[in-house]
Amino acid sequence: MDPGLGVDEITPIALLMDELRSEDVQLRLNAIRRVSTIALALGPDRARDELIPFLQDSVDDEDEILLALADELGKSFEEYIGGKEWAHVLLGPLENLSAVEETLVRDKAAESITKIAAVLTSQQVEQHYIPLLNRLSHGEWFTSRTSSAALYAPVYSKVSPAIQEELRKGFAALGSDDTPMVRRAAAKWLGAFAKNLSKQHVLSDGLTIYRRLQADDQDSVRLLTVEDLVVIAQQLSPAEVKEQLLKQIRQSVSDKSWRVRYMAANHFNALSEAVGVQLVREELVNHYVQLLKDNEAEVRTAAAGQIPGFSKLLEPEVVIARIVPFVRDLCQDSSQHVRAALANQITGLAPLLGHGPTIEHLLQLFLHLLKDEFPEVRLNIISKLEQVNEVIGIQLLADNLLPAIVELAEDKSWRVRQAIIEYIPLLATQLGRTFFDEQLANLCMSWLGDTVYSIREAATINLKKLTEVFGVEWARTQIVPKVVNMGSHPNYLYRMTTVQAIGTIAPSLNIEIVSDEIIDALLHLATDPIPNIRFNVAKSLEVVATTYGKTPEGKELAQQKVVPVLEELKTDQDADVRYFAALASQRTLATTVQG
Amino acid sequence: MPSDLDSQIEQLIQCNPISEEQVKRLCIKAREILIEESNVQVVDAPVTICGDIHGQFFDLMELFKIGGTCPETNYIFIGAALPSPTCLVPMNDPGDFVDRGFYSVETFLLLLALKVRYPDRITLIRGNHESRQITQVYGFYDECQRKYGSSNVWRWCCEVFDYLALGAIVDGRVFCVHGGLSPALQAIDQIRTIDRKQEVPHDGAMCDLLWSDPDDITGWGLSPRGAGFLFGADITKTFAHHNAIDLIARAHQLAMEGYKLMFDQTIVTVWSAPNYCYRCGNVASILELDEHLVQEYKVFQHAPSDVRSVPLKRPPADYFL
Repeated sequence: MDPGLGVDEITPIALLMDELRSEDVQLRLNAIRRVSTIALALGPDRARDELIPFLQDSVDDEDEILLALADELGKSFEEYIGGKEWAHVLLGPLENLSAVEETLVRDKAAESITKIAAVLTSQQVEQHYIPLLNRLSHGEWFTSRTSSAALYAPVYSKVSPAIQEELRKGFAALGSDDTPMVRRAAAKWLGAFAKNLSKQHVLSDGLTIYRRLQADDQDSVRLLTVEDLVVIAQQLSPAEVKEQLLKQIRQSVSDKSWRVRYMAANHFNALSEAVGVQLVREELVNHYVQLLKDNEAEVRTAAAGQIPGFSKLLEPEVVIARIVPFVRDLCQDSSQHVRAALANQITGLAPLLGHGPTIEHLLQLFLHLLKDEFPEVRLNIISKLEQVNEVIGIQLLADNLLPAIVELAEDKSWRVRQAIIEYIPLLATQLGRTFFDEQLANLCMSWLGDTVYSIREAATINLKKLTEVFGVEWARTQIVPKVVNMGSHPNYLYRMTTVQAIGTIAPSLNIEIVSDEIIDALLHLATDPIPNIRFNVAKSLEVVATTYGKTPEGKELAQQKVVPVLEELKTDQDADVRYFAALASQRTLATTVQG
Repeated sequence: MPSDLDSQIEQLIQCNPISEEQVKRLCIKAREILIEESNVQVVDAPVTICGDIHGQFFDLMELFKIGGTCPETNYIFIGAALPSPTCLVPMNDPGDFVDRGFYSVETFLLLLALKVRYPDRITLIRGNHESRQITQVYGFYDECQRKYGSSNVWRWCCEVFDYLALGAIVDGRVFCVHGGLSPALQAIDQIRTIDRKQEVPHDGAMCDLLWSDPDDITGWGLSPRGAGFLFGADITKTFAHHNAIDLIARAHQLAMEGYKLMFDQTIVTVWSAPNYCYRCGNVASILELDEHLVQEYKVFQHAPSDVRSVPLKRPPADYFL
């Protein structure tokens, strides 16, 4: 070894290079993930002069490694190479990564370049970034041209008017590139680019590029222009939109490719908001209705998702006259995905229409969807009923809704039962305590005796959540006695449910209820003949002791009641009981001693 | 040890195989535990009895959702965690077999890891598939080769098979065995005299226990399987009476309804592989015996396709037949 170089100085880069040459992909990946540490060890000068050039040459590797490298270089890496004034040095390796074949790597590289652009000065941009952008934009292979589309927007506002003009021309060239992939990229990034343009240039350049792409012969290009349309419309006045974009709007919503119509349906609210109320009422409402009855289920699904958002822009009478008839049709749609999307949104119409019209026009539709043959449709509508409750009141809603809930709660598929249980806490919040106690409390307790273990488990979690909704005093009278009672059931599965339910809900109760009403039942089960019950008692005792052990009362409870029983269980004849008791005892001690 | 093993169980539950070295240690430990067990392992109620799984890992997860997790619930698996000949009939798309098909390695290793972690909570009984010969022909050997790149794991697993119990008896009243009865055996106690630590022989009492089937005949009959026997109601009832048992629980045959009681409920076939080989359209069941030996059959269906999509490489296709 050269005596002039200390071990400390040579190792980091040598180590990295060694690991980067390793046969094992995982080792190479680890090395890349640590590259900032290595840069730190090298110091800014050597990181800049040795590490960066080395990385610049390492683009011949697995995509996984390149992706990690592109990512690392975007994480404020300039801090390791001497600060912002050197940030442009990072553009070198990232430029290479922007030209590789794998899209994920290129996208990540462009993302990192964008981050670096934010810290560059105008001078750095003009000196280093613009030449890079030119090279990528004129690259021979389409990959680099594709990457370049993302890189115009970040620097446009940082450069002189002369260069801005070049950038507009450069982007326009991408928009009429021969390769569809490049035009796709241009369509994808046009919105971001257009946001930086002055209004004059939106009208002169932005619109030209947009119109070119919007009329592309590839539908995969056209569908991306829907988002550009929204951005451009946002920058223009309603009158200008009407004058400049009406034709394009009409074309997009009635495009012969359903994928384009799908995009239009999916962005309909954003578009409507951008073009202004007047144009919505004159023009867009007709198009929207067309999308609601489109031939393709995917388009109808997307359109159904926009119902309340779009209807907000209309007068209630117009909603009733123009939208509701189609909503009624969608309730009968042959595709369950359409009905599920509708069920998710339809309740949003209730606050727009108000009390009377909701009862008159919508209630029947809600009921219809609640009886839908597909569980997802039923669940979607159930989970959004709070909005309806606010409009028409709980009584009317509950009278109509409850039979459906009860029916689903006893569904023969346990997964449907599980979905209903998971919805119960939300329903409880909506219905209120009195109603819940009268109508649903028994159902919740009956799930504790379900034949399927997962349902029994979900039922105990449900009780915990209900306690959080209605409070501990409610739990003391409504839940605790029933759970404790089950602990003396002749079938061990019920006793097991008691033990597990106590472990689940105890943290949501308080120390008073636990010591007055629960702990004795649990301790009693510590002598159960079934070992499975005994070691679950140990687990639940651990929960009680570790939850409350830090308070004085809890500590007393733990020391006087929990610890002696755990000591007893530690000498049980069953090995698993001994194991879980020892674990519980150890954790109990740790908590109470700390507290 | 427990925490190490707990993390291995955790990993296997995600359907990720553990390392070769971990398999080796697991198998050694399993042998130490199994060698202490008797040929007919004595088990206390409550316990849940499960039939064939055949490498349908995600359906085993479904089984645990229905019956409860181990150690909360006690289990007896009466054999055939591994694939069977039916599973090898090619599907329309051969790639399907590899992608959706079988996780015998994960299934067997998970059950084995649970056995080592909770020896008193789970009992594994040998099935006819748990043998060198059968596994070499019917896929398990290939699966080990594919997943570990060598036959070591297969070899270690085979050594474990030789130590598995041949049967179990719950509270002296319910006799569990993979296949059925043998003309060479009148009493359960006679099974205790077999030297079980060997490859499954081609005939004799040990072979019959793993291969025989009940059938609507009188006395004994030749088995179309080429090993074991067919036995009728008279044989079954006499055996039950002599040994003072209420029920013989066995697996080994597909039951479309998940279970099939025969001979005035003296024998039941329990089948725990729903939609067997992903195409038979059957439901599965487990038999829960509570602390008073009351029998309850829990019927269940195959796991929804989104649940088992972890290693899925393409959208789920419809089932074939």
